[in-house]
Amino acid sequence: MTIVKLENVRKIYPLGKTEVEALKGVGFEIEKGDFISIAGPSGSGKSTILNMIGCIDTPTSGAVEIDGRATGGLSDKEITKLRHDVIGFIFQSFNLIPVLDIYENIEFPLLLGKQTQNKKEKQEWIDYLIAEVGLTQWKNHRPNELSGGQRQRVAIARALVTKPRIVLADEPTANLDSKTGEAIIELMKKINREMETTFIFSTHDFKIVGIADHVIQLKDGEVIENRRTENARSDGGKNA
Amino acid sequence: MKTVMTIALRNLSRQKKRSFLLGGAIAFGIMIVTIINGFSGSFVENVSENFSQLLAGHIFIDGVEKSASGKDVSIIRDDAAVSALLLDAKLPVKYVNRRSSFNGTLIFEGKKVLQDVVGVDLGNEKFLKDRLVLQSGSFESLPKDRQGVILSADIARKLNVQIGDRMLVQLKTATGQQNVGEFTLEAMSVNPGLLGSLSAYANKDYVNELLNIAPNEYQQMGIILDSINQIDPAADRLYAAMKTKLNTFERKKADSGQGNPLAAMMKQSKTETWQGTKYRLYTLNDILAQVQQIVNALNIASLVILVVLFLIIMVGITNTFRMIMFERIKEIGTMRAVGMQKNEVRDLFLWEALFLAIGGALAGLVAASIIMGALSLINIGMNSPVFILLKNGHLTFKLIPWQVLANVAIIALLTLLAALFPARNAANLSPAAALGTTK
Repeated sequence: MTIVKLENVRKIYPLGKTEVEALKGVGFEIEKGDFISIAGPSGSGKSTILNMIGCIDTPTSGAVEIDGRATGGLSDKEITKLRHDVIGFIFQSFNLIPVLDIYENIEFPLLLGKQTQNKKEKQEWIDYLIAEVGLTQWKNHRPNELSGGQRQRVAIARALVTKPRIVLADEPTANLDSKTGEAIIELMKKINREMETTFIFSTHDFKIVGIADHVIQLKDGEVIENRRTENARSDGGKNA
Repeated sequence: MKTVMTIALRNLSRQKKRSFLLGGAIAFGIMIVTIINGFSGSFVENVSENFSQLLAGHIFIDGVEKSASGKDVSIIRDDAAVSALLLDAKLPVKYVNRRSSFNGTLIFEGKKVLQDVVGVDLGNEKFLKDRLVLQSGSFESLPKDRQGVILSADIARKLNVQIGDRMLVQLKTATGQQNVGEFTLEAMSVNPGLLGSLSAYANKDYVNELLNIAPNEYQQMGIILDSINQIDPAADRLYAAMKTKLNTFERKKADSGQGNPLAAMMKQSKTETWQGTKYRLYTLNDILAQVQQIVNALNIASLVILVVLFLIIMVGITNTFRMIMFERIKEIGTMRAVGMQKNEVRDLFLWEALFLAIGGALAGLVAASIIMGALSLINIGMNSPVFILLKNGHLTFKLIPWQVLANVAIIALLTLLAALFPARNAANLSPAAALGTTK
């Protein structure tokens, strides 16, 4: 089942008096439940593609469909709601809110939308996620008291708290040492399998690419490789 | 909403020095304005109280007759009629005094001083005895000497008179004839300030004789009520009663918008003609109408100060919030990415500004209270030229709750206005642009 579909997506950024074409007619589909790597060197358009999928930027032309919904023509309010309900974000620099403690940071997205869980359910769910990322004893600490790896774990828990169908991770290991980076990728993969959440992450680290079900390779704003790997499930996520 | 408020509140503690400076500027503004308001709040009350002591009344009744030559003669002949009205109106009366007075020249050994001399019946003037502090001589000696007079020490010094000295007085009678008399200095009062030296006190019988009016007549009835706050309703009741029984001048009130009400009534008597005695009622508030204008001017000035101070502070707040927006640009991008709506981002900044304003305002109110408390402890003394503004020699401050709340509301509103533009800019940031900004 296709959860993300890009059709001939172009993105042009103005740069002074000139323009830079960051994406040159990109198109691909992503299956639900996959663990997808968008790989490529710096400036290849990885982050721009994630921005399009994450609905935090709009294409200059082309169409983006998320969870069966075309994003073109949606109002800012609708786009924001779509982001909240369907997508979770993990950032390279963790981007935690410094004035909130770990529990509150993870809880934060839940407080923005319509409250569907009661207080107890919500608390149990957050505690479960904190336990999943191994930070139970840190839950009342502020982000500045945590290491980089711990912060990224908090970001993963925050990304999952709304039970999104897609989690986008923009170079999630770039600011971490290799051991911690591997641990983070393993954690993401574990959650991908357990919760059947689609993970889309950008990276230029080919060691990490190897763990993906589906690899989309970019160069200069174009897809140069789009393949499913031997890690992919045989049903292609259709039963996910 | 609660989350937005929590983050806004905690954000204030991120840059403590900056929050302290901004809050301090707000606190300073509210402190200055609160002190001015506190001062102007007690200004009317203190001036009124001091004037009521000087003039010995809250409500006054004058009688005016037209002489054969058409001049106004100030006199109340029928005390029984006026006193009966006072009983009928059931006023909360503390004291009633009946006085005659003139403005004449006191002369002693070639020295002259223009002086108001008030004829009092010292037996019934408990109020005067309570207020007037004698430096030498005694109240008891005045009734014993029909021609006795009490002068302020300041005037006695100018005339170079001592207790027991006799001096001449030149005056005009009630009907405007020249007359002379003699006074003996029986007592000297402590000079209670600028206005205190304006009055000298003598026996009413002798003052009446000098004015050429009968001993049982007088010129002005002064009524002191239980409280200064009762003046207007009590005067309304008494005036309503007077209109039914006596020939009465139309009353001009301080709030009638006709300028100085007492001057307006004086002018009215000059232009009208009538038979017998026509009565005039006025109050301390009418006399002090101009004081109220000063207070209004003070309040307007404080409001202008508040607005000017805050226009300056607003520039600082706007710039600071622009800086804050830039500092937190990635955070704004993150919040928008995880589902925060534009209006919530805007509210986050506005709540922060509001908390800053309220915190600053509260600190300003506390600082103002401390300063006002300290100032009111200083005994300036009733000999000071500004004694009229004081209460028992002390500065006093009276704050009107709605005025304090209005000041806080103005400050909150202006702070919100100052933060609105940066807040809207933050809300309108594209999440991608915010997340992609490198600082």
